[in-house]
Amino acid sequence: MNVLLAVLWKDLISEWRTRDRIVSMLLFSVLVVVVFHFALPEDASQLLKTGAAGLLWIAYVFASVLGLNRAFALELENEALSGLALAPADRGWIFLGKSLANTLLLFLVQAVTAFVFALTFNVSLTAVVPQFAVVMALGALGLSSIGTLFAAVAVRTRYREVMLPLLLLPVMIPVLLGAVRASAALLERGTLPAPALRLLIVADLTFLIVSFVLFEYVLDE
Amino acid sequence: MQAGVLERAAGHFRTPSLWALLPLCAVYGLAVITAPEDAVQGVIQKILYVHPACAFAAYLGFGLTALGGALYLWREDEQYDRLALASAEVGVVFCTLVILTGPIWARGTWGRFWSWDPRLTVTLLLWFIYLAYLLLRGFTEGSARAARFAAVYGIAGVLAIPLNYFAIDLFGGRAIHPENLGRGSLGAGMGLPFALGLVTALLAFFHLLARRLELEGLRARNAFAEAETQHEPARAEGPWPT
Repeated sequence: MNVLLAVLWKDLISEWRTRDRIVSMLLFSVLVVVVFHFALPEDASQLLKTGAAGLLWIAYVFASVLGLNRAFALELENEALSGLALAPADRGWIFLGKSLANTLLLFLVQAVTAFVFALTFNVSLTAVVPQFAVVMALGALGLSSIGTLFAAVAVRTRYREVMLPLLLLPVMIPVLLGAVRASAALLERGTLPAPALRLLIVADLTFLIVSFVLFEYVLDE
Repeated sequence: MQAGVLERAAGHFRTPSLWALLPLCAVYGLAVITAPEDAVQGVIQKILYVHPACAFAAYLGFGLTALGGALYLWREDEQYDRLALASAEVGVVFCTLVILTGPIWARGTWGRFWSWDPRLTVTLLLWFIYLAYLLLRGFTEGSARAARFAAVYGIAGVLAIPLNYFAIDLFGGRAIHPENLGRGSLGAGMGLPFALGLVTALLAFFHLLARRLELEGLRARNAFAEAETQHEPARAEGPWPT
């Protein structure tokens, strides 16, 4: 548990000192929202009524891939990853610390992007802010859990920037599906559907447990 | 370096399986040709003798990939990693056949090539996962690291499949894929070619798997022998005392 907090704290501090990961993720996902404006038909109000949640989650997924690609980049310098691997601690807790740090970053980016999206596309989110925050947090946790495991793999391959989305996208579908359905229901009816929420929680737990166990073998230097 | 148990078994299996496969293919082909035509769908229904058989072989391949990966992580014996690689490659071949034959039938029966039915979607995702698996192996340097990474991804991929199926079944779309086996709707004279197809596909799968496994074993032993011969002079020529 102390290991978890130590890794989480270290990641947040080092991110705070440079802020380059969060700034690039944020700029990227807001830019994707701007790109939507040009990609959608001129009168998109009908499309936005049903598809806004999906669009938003596309931006989130791409931003998370961007951020996760950098999650272990810093650790490669000066063999810091070997240092982490040598730490006298269960590597599962190291994984949890890293993935919680990624979750927090992604959640911040999601919140700002949702705000910009709501303002620019005239989608009203004010009535459902707490529920929407829960869905975003669960989605961020799911993406960051399995994503952190795959990022640790992808960062030590050739073409690492391409490898991560190829590994992550087909596996993370349950998280995306649950998050999109829950968000869509929130935007349309203002209520959280139980099946979507249940799916999100089951997917998050599965991915957390699987990654917790398998991270041991990824960090094995 | 000795050949592993799996490779030796593969070596014993290769020739008999080939000799069994040749007449079996002929009988199977004949059975498919002489099978009665479906009253509603016509000749296109005969894809039934190919498509599900290939699907069984593909799923078997991906199951073996995860099993091989898990055994490798547990035992750290390289032959299990070679089993994982071989079954992933053969599985991708059969999965590609499934994805190619499906739309031919669907076009004739559903009127369109593709539908986002849960089973189709999950098979497509499975195909993508195992292509990524093979890419990952290609892009990772160092055979031990590649084996570990691949094992981790293979296990995560297989565990994601039931979750994917559950999720997509819940929300993803209307299920229209036929459930022939469950309902026992095979007409008279259709059972034999179907069973023959299944046996042939599985035998073909294991034959290819055995050949691939043997090849990978030879490659590993060759690399091992090369490393041995390269080390000798380097040790003798070194300026430093050994």
